Amino acid sequence: MTALATKSVSPNLERIRTAFEQRARDGDPLAEWRRAALERFLELGFPTQRDERWKYTNLRRLEMRNFAPAEAPHVAPTLPDALTDASLRIALVDGHCMPSLSHGVQPPGVTVIGLGQWLENAPTDAAACLGRLGPDPASAFENLNAAFVDDGLVIDIAPGTQFDEAIYVVHAWHTSGRMAHPRIVVRLGENSRCTLIEHYIGAPQIESFTNAVVTIEAQAGACLKHYRLQQESPKTFHIGTVRARLAKDARYLGHEIALGAALGRADITGLLDGPGAEMKLRGLFAPAGSQHLDTYTRIEHIAPYTNSEEEFRGIADGRGRGVFNGKVKVHPNAQHIDARQLSRNLLLSETAEIDTKPELEIYANDVKCSHGATTGQLDATALFYLRSRGIDASTARALLIRAFAESILTSIEPQGLRTTLDNWLAQRFSSTEVSP
Amino acid sequence: MLKVNDLHVRVDGKQILNGLNLEVKPGEVHAIMGPNGSGKSTLVQVLAGRDGYEVTQGSATYLGKDLLSLPPEERAREGVFLAFQYPVEIPGVNNVYLLKAALNAARKHRGLPEVDAFEFLSLVREKMKLMQMDESFLNRGVNEGFSGGEKKRNEILQMMVLEPTLALLDETDSGLDIDALRIVANGVNSLRRADRAIVMVTHYQRLLDHIVPDYVHVLSDGRIVKSGDKSLALELEKRGYDWLKQDAA
Repeated sequence: MTALATKSVSPNLERIRTAFEQRARDGDPLAEWRRAALERFLELGFPTQRDERWKYTNLRRLEMRNFAPAEAPHVAPTLPDALTDASLRIALVDGHCMPSLSHGVQPPGVTVIGLGQWLENAPTDAAACLGRLGPDPASAFENLNAAFVDDGLVIDIAPGTQFDEAIYVVHAWHTSGRMAHPRIVVRLGENSRCTLIEHYIGAPQIESFTNAVVTIEAQAGACLKHYRLQQESPKTFHIGTVRARLAKDARYLGHEIALGAALGRADITGLLDGPGAEMKLRGLFAPAGSQHLDTYTRIEHIAPYTNSEEEFRGIADGRGRGVFNGKVKVHPNAQHIDARQLSRNLLLSETAEIDTKPELEIYANDVKCSHGATTGQLDATALFYLRSRGIDASTARALLIRAFAESILTSIEPQGLRTTLDNWLAQRFSSTEVSP
Repeated sequence: MLKVNDLHVRVDGKQILNGLNLEVKPGEVHAIMGPNGSGKSTLVQVLAGRDGYEVTQGSATYLGKDLLSLPPEERAREGVFLAFQYPVEIPGVNNVYLLKAALNAARKHRGLPEVDAFEFLSLVREKMKLMQMDESFLNRGVNEGFSGGEKKRNEILQMMVLEPTLALLDETDSGLDIDALRIVANGVNSLRRADRAIVMVTHYQRLLDHIVPDYVHVLSDGRIVKSGDKSLALELEKRGYDWLKQDAA
């Protein structure tokens, strides 16, 4: 018996295989690609804590569940009217494009089409593009996504196009007990610029599984500002993978804001492929109750003269658990690298926990790398100072928590998004009693 | 206005105040002096409501209320103000925001409407001029990146805006050069009024040249061992504290 055969009988994986076989269709242009991805997934299995990348996150809760692949809902649900300042809104419900809930005009140079539609209209192109972009053979969830993906978006920004308003993509759940594997492909032409906001939402009773993948190819001089705001229902599982390949002088400015989900994981990879490429990541994760929110970043400095900068902040309350694992790899001959990483964490209760782990792997010698990590509690003296000025205890606490998140908040450019996060912080923390 | 009676306070299991008595009437300025570790700061901290101070015996009443049973924010709204020895830096909380929130909290407590934004700003600007503070301070984080002297001036600025009934000054003179000391003292003196009392804790006599007290008390081992008028401070300057300790013993 080989390891593969042993694994394939694990009932959890067998369920995945069965679901896959049930939905295989004749004439699927991606049939081979999907099957290869499924086999790879079954070989890898769900990651375990023996895998360094998953050291602090146990996926048992997810693995045991049986989620059927989500279908496109028959009726369009009502979406909350968040982020109204976006000029172009696209809605994906249960992982499927909902044109009736999408609005806005695509400006010249910006093309956004549904992935499902693309597969139908241009199957050969689509298959070639998806084939070129992976999945990463080391990522179980990317492979799982490839095996099941049937919708998502393809965003093409023509060379030289500077689209400064945001493309707002709302991922909403309508049906409980399902799994969705949306995929967003972003292709930025030379010297183009664009902002993408992804907002993951779901009503509190939803118990589903989102396994989203975003791949980004940025040609020379292109810039993507990418915001992910994860506000899934507190019972949902969320795995979000982002993989960006940056050519010469291309920039990726990412924000990863994780507030929702029972178990959430963001997996962000940057491949800095050309000199002058730059990746800046900012993030905030705020687990409470029994939430588990994990952020894993991997930045690979492949070319010389590439820069990266990361600042992640965690606020854990209740029995919430947060994880930040930031890996930076500097490849041989990638000289003149500047890589900075900062992880700051705030524990609001005795039972909350945050694990932070920087990982530097450096194979070049002319490199500036720095990292810093702190974990602490609210400053009791600052709390007393505010109270001694007449501010009540819970407001004082909320003020200090907001102050802790301030640098992330102010770095969010789209006004609507910043306000959404600011209001969320105010609501979450102003009503909280002082922790025991 | 303030009556402290037989106050015993323990901090981290250590007895700091040992039966302190003090009575402060409206309009009076009291200076509390004493060597390091005599309990001066503890007294004002416990009156302002800081955590971690265990009152084991005695009482403090303020305008007839049991001060020690009120949370710190209630004391502040009732008109008690503590100027910190080491004002806290709070990056991310705006100075002007704190000033306004503090003033409105006190106004709300007294049943007054929130302050008008325009009136508020002109009030703050006027007080800032008195304290010789640059307006750019307003939009910075609370005490963020302020020098020691700027922090102390900011404390007095807050006090001028909040107009407390009972002001507690904790070593407000420490770390100030002579010019800054004069500015701070002018600020405090401008607040002297018949219906307001000031209790200031200091290690050195020099503050009292600028803010002349009505009473001087000497604290030793958590108790007031001698009280007098401003001439007592001068005597202390000459003779030090040791003779009092011996007297007390």
